[in-house]
Amino acid sequence: MRVLVVEDDESLAEQIEQSLLDAGYAVDVSNDGEDGHFLGDSEPYDAVILDLGLPVMDGASVLKKWRADGRDMPVLVLTARDTWTDKVEGLDAGADDYLTKPFIVEELLARLRALIRRSAGQSSPQLECGPVLLDTRNGRVTVSGRAIKLTAQEFKLLSYMMHHNGKVVSRTELTEHIYDQDFDRDSNTIEVFVNRVRKKLDTPIIHTVRGLGYRLEWEESAS
Amino acid sequence: MGRERLLISNVRHFFRTLTGRLLASALLWSVAALAVGGFILSLVFKSYVLNDVDKRLSLLIDSMTGVAELSPKGLLRFSRPLSDQRFMTPESGQYWQISEEGQPPFRSRSLWDFELKPEVTHRSFSLKFYEAQGPGGQMLRVAERDSILPNSDRVFHFQVGTNMADVRAAIAEFNWLLVSALGLIMLTVTMSLVLQVSYGLRPLRKLGKSLTDIRAGKENRIEGEWPQDLQLLAQEINALMEQNEQLVDRARTHVGNLAHALKTPLSVIQIDVENAVDERDKRIKTQSRLIREHIDHHLKRARIAGGGSGKGLPIKDRLRKIIKAVEVATREKGVTYDLQCPDDCRFDGEKEDFDEVLGNLIDNAGKWATGHVSVVAEKLQDSARRPMMEIRVTDDGPGVPAEDIDTLFERGRRLDERMPGTGLGLAIVRDIVEMYGGEARLAHAPSGGLMAVLKLPAK
Repeated sequence: MRVLVVEDDESLAEQIEQSLLDAGYAVDVSNDGEDGHFLGDSEPYDAVILDLGLPVMDGASVLKKWRADGRDMPVLVLTARDTWTDKVEGLDAGADDYLTKPFIVEELLARLRALIRRSAGQSSPQLECGPVLLDTRNGRVTVSGRAIKLTAQEFKLLSYMMHHNGKVVSRTELTEHIYDQDFDRDSNTIEVFVNRVRKKLDTPIIHTVRGLGYRLEWEESAS
Repeated sequence: MGRERLLISNVRHFFRTLTGRLLASALLWSVAALAVGGFILSLVFKSYVLNDVDKRLSLLIDSMTGVAELSPKGLLRFSRPLSDQRFMTPESGQYWQISEEGQPPFRSRSLWDFELKPEVTHRSFSLKFYEAQGPGGQMLRVAERDSILPNSDRVFHFQVGTNMADVRAAIAEFNWLLVSALGLIMLTVTMSLVLQVSYGLRPLRKLGKSLTDIRAGKENRIEGEWPQDLQLLAQEINALMEQNEQLVDRARTHVGNLAHALKTPLSVIQIDVENAVDERDKRIKTQSRLIREHIDHHLKRARIAGGGSGKGLPIKDRLRKIIKAVEVATREKGVTYDLQCPDDCRFDGEKEDFDEVLGNLIDNAGKWATGHVSVVAEKLQDSARRPMMEIRVTDDGPGVPAEDIDTLFERGRRLDERMPGTGLGLAIVRDIVEMYGGEARLAHAPSGGLMAVLKLPAK
């Protein structure tokens, strides 16, 4: 899962970035509205954390421009302005959720998880594919109740696929959603990760769709 | 006694008004001018009439002297009779008398047995006028002169008198006419003054009403055409109001900026000590939470605008947006919201205040609801003084105990610490509603939950 953080206060941006990395997200950070708008417009993010009081271009304008251009990733608005008018107008401008400063990181993470889950069409915080269970709340993966240890990259890959359960996910898409923009991408490494995850799960739920990518599916008869 | 004092204070109050001052000063001058004019007129008339009498008397005395002669026997006689019949009728009011020292006087028949007293005892050949007692108690104007008749060296004292009663009556009648005419003029002048002052001051009263309307929130600015000298005043007042609004706006912007400026570093501190274990960090955590609460408390109060806003805020669309914002927090729980509101219902006040009140109440209802929140707004018909609306926010949650229902609007009051919040929301709601002269109360919903009932000014 890849998240964009647009926040002009560098200390706060760093804190958020660290918390997101710890929670297993790929994170890009931008410190002003124009740069943030560009990133959100050109990269496929699973969610955006957007501060409203930004230099160069304010958050509300950034949000409106994205929505006008058809960018529909979930956006969590972050603001120090906590009047109801700010809130009402922020959500009216196209935000999906709203968090006022100061906030606690737990709250931010919970809201973000919920946003990503909902936008992927998942209603439960526990993602399921046959015996494989991924709890988005604590990042734990189990197969038939047995805990599986995954590396950060392996977790991101499985998490993205679990969110898009049943859909074909291309290698490029996986690359885009598990690495941040500064990462030296190589889609061949994806294959390596997929194979490692397959081995660790020891359950045939990741299928290769020739020429297109991968699909997560549990076939009862196959077990 | 009390009524008298009231009257006096009313009169005093009247003369403190602009109308009173203009009327009083104009009336004072008119009364003075009319009085002086009247007095002079009366004086001129009187002296003219008296002059006329004196002229007549002097003519009479001249013609009498002219026809007087001495008979060969040395007796005084008239060469021809005096033409005026009134000299023949007793006490007719027209008299003459000629006397010589040491002799009984020669008198007109009209004097009958009355004898005029000569005014001057020494000899005087110039004409003298004076008032004297006549027959039958008449007041006479008398002219007298000593003359030496031709062809003799005897000195005769000539006197002619006329009754002044007619003349005095004429003067009195004239004065009476004069006073009534002047009184009539005064009345007309007063009436036209009242009209003039009230017409002249009408724009000023309209200006005052305009300002009252603005204060009541019915109008935004002083509109319309004004007399040139008031136009300037109206422009200045408008400019002043604009300046005031800008100041308030700027202050609010600063307040918002202050919030932004303080809260971001506060976020950093709070995140740093979020998982505090040692005493110091715990203390920092508590204190930064307190700082946050103080900021929230004072900023929210500073933002309350109060007062009406020109056209009013259409509340249906606004409520829909507020519900959309509140829904975000209860999406997981699956709370549904429904809204009943007339299309043309408008709130007479600031959008920010409306958002704050309804946002807090609906959010609160959403937090406690198990599945449903209803928002019902309607215009109240019975309030004659000022149009009001009622908004009811009802949830199907657990409700609150009867003994707590009245204290929920107190600041920092929270019945249940399980739900997030500072306990400030409902106190803010109460403050804003009171500032608008509305009402906010809590009641038990028929369904068992809590119902917040608001009365707010409508447009």
